[in-house]
Amino acid sequence: MTVPVASPGRPVPPAPDGRGPSGPRWDAAPGVIRPRHDTEGMVRWGTRLAALLPGAALVGLAVALLIEALPAIRGNGFGFFTRTTWDPGNFYNPPVVVNGVARPDGASYGAFPLIVGTLASSTIAMVIAVPVAFGTAMIVVHKLPRRLSNTVGMLLEMLAGIPSVVFGLWAALTLGPFLAHHVSPFISRTMPDVPVLRFFKGPVGSGEGLLTSGLVLAVMVVPIIASTTRDLLRQVPRGTQEGAVALGMTDLEVVRSVSIPWVRTGVIGACVLGLGRALGETMAVAMASGTVLGTVPRNVYSTFGSMAGVIVSQLDSALTDATGFAVETLAYLGLVLLAMSLLANIGARLLVRRASTTALPVGRGI
Amino acid sequence: MTDAVGTHTGTETALRQAEAGPAAGPPREVAFTPAFSCRGVGVGFGAKTVLEGVDLDIAPGTVTALVGPTGCGKTTFLRTLNRLNDRVPGFRRSGTISLVGEDLYDRHMDPLVVRRRVGMLFQRPNPFPLSIHENVIAGVKAHRLAPRSELRSITERSLREVGLWEAVADRLGSSPFRLSGGQQQLLCLARALAVRPDVLLLDEPTSSLDPVSTEAVEDLLRSLVPGLTIVIVTHNLAQARRLADRTVFFHGGRMVETGETAELFENPQQEETRNYVSGRFG
Ligand SMILES: Nc1ncnc2c1ncn2[C@@H]1O[C@H](COP(=O)(O)OP(=O)(O)OP(=O)(O)O)[C@@H](O)[C@H]1O
Ligand SMILES: [Mg+2]
Repeated sequence: MTVPVASPGRPVPPAPDGRGPSGPRWDAAPGVIRPRHDTEGMVRWGTRLAALLPGAALVGLAVALLIEALPAIRGNGFGFFTRTTWDPGNFYNPPVVVNGVARPDGASYGAFPLIVGTLASSTIAMVIAVPVAFGTAMIVVHKLPRRLSNTVGMLLEMLAGIPSVVFGLWAALTLGPFLAHHVSPFISRTMPDVPVLRFFKGPVGSGEGLLTSGLVLAVMVVPIIASTTRDLLRQVPRGTQEGAVALGMTDLEVVRSVSIPWVRTGVIGACVLGLGRALGETMAVAMASGTVLGTVPRNVYSTFGSMAGVIVSQLDSALTDATGFAVETLAYLGLVLLAMSLLANIGARLLVRRASTTALPVGRGI
Repeated sequence: MTDAVGTHTGTETALRQAEAGPAAGPPREVAFTPAFSCRGVGVGFGAKTVLEGVDLDIAPGTVTALVGPTGCGKTTFLRTLNRLNDRVPGFRRSGTISLVGEDLYDRHMDPLVVRRRVGMLFQRPNPFPLSIHENVIAGVKAHRLAPRSELRSITERSLREVGLWEAVADRLGSSPFRLSGGQQQLLCLARALAVRPDVLLLDEPTSSLDPVSTEAVEDLLRSLVPGLTIVIVTHNLAQARRLADRTVFFHGGRMVETGETAELFENPQQEETRNYVSGRFG
């Protein structure tokens, strides 16, 4: 690098902000370069605006949804969370007024099965995806030669970019039937009849259901978690890892006492991103779940409906409800989904704060 | 502090012999099993040859300094002594190295055990992202050297040994990254000593420390011999003179000369050594 030197006889003017001369500026003729404070002001306001934008978008979205959902919140009450029925009512009879809100005769909505279905499919997805993603990232970073590791990383990113409808097709046409014919019967037969595992027993259905949806969600979530974890693992300092090796630790112990603590907070963040994706995933689940309304799934092979899937599949018919109650109810459902995603996010943040009592010397991603 | 001896009988005998020897430096003739004995050691990475024909004996219970111009292979040699290079792709090695009479690279030598017996302190402090307490006992736990109930006392003893106890006693559960650089290095030293190694390898351990911390570390290292065998790489010739019983001069991947420290500095036998110790290159 060459250091610019003032030509002889021409003194170096002090920089206007006292930060010292930089760049070729002080060699240029006066007036050529715009005064510095001008652009700095613009930059300052620009960055402030940019910083406010995401918050404004979030609040705006929530408020718009809330306004839309307000009649449904009043009309459905808190029973919305416990009822299992999903009945739009009879559009041909005159509407009735309940709690001050007009609705078609006999309309009754309950989100309980949808909430259970959404949480259950996302749980299955995360239980599978988190260990698989972490293992993948570990192998990519530590076991594969550089060239192959880059290829695998590229494939992961491509996997993340596949439209979800393609995953949905695959789940409905290939994965679901395969599971129903070759895998689920075996699992259903061999699982012991004890709590939790009991959900793996019972009729296996035809392939549409929780297990298929959970698996396809896992495939969609793995790339999100794995690629972030890979980037974080690459940031773990070599010297720290070698310190652990030099102490006589096995590879697994090095991972446990250096790699995992180093990436933990970032990986939790990535998992929340993944969970958000799983909770909100619409198309693939709509295609793989069977999208049934009004029944709570009884085992992992049961067909079910997810909140997002029901919103998209019911919107068309809801628009034919002249009272508007059906659409307002879908907005309510959307609001609940939004709240669930935000709660997951906040919960993860609290978890991260707890996990990071051992502050690291550098900031990590997420 | 002389209980910093491992449980390996071979070493213990050797060390007792060493302690029995005259206090004013070890004898010129090595009369006991050397801690390390290198014969025709060559090291390379892929097509690149880094070290060639190194013959060297390191007496137990002594401090040996490795000096030489940058890039001459000191670090590589050190990392060969605890088999840390095993993990480097393309690493190849010839000749023999024995650790207290046993072939270091024998098929039946477990590198994990080797690394417990031969500890290492790096140039830059590298504490683990765990609490201070967990840092100190990380090796003890990995090798299951003590029951859980003793871990606290091991932490205290190791931290006292390096003179860090007073400074961190009230924050054993907090992050080591808030300690100063010198304190972090002492913590890493405590961590290395907690597993009771026979040998400690140090790669420019004080190059990132201020003179006061450096002196503290040097005093500490001196107090660890002859219970411990120390091999230290340093660019600081004054440090080698203060600390080392013997000094080894490396140049261009070869071991040029070795001798008692005073002898090597006052009366070097080789032209290259003379140039280096008189500050004419390197
Ligand atoms: N993994 C490796 N692959 C290839 N070459 C290597 C590797 N490690 C070290 N070398 C080479 O070996 C030579 C010796 O390196 P080494 O780090 O041992 O030197 P050093 O004496 O410790 O130097 P310094 O005093 O600067 O620390 C250097 O030329 C270096 O480029
Ligand atoms: Mg070096």
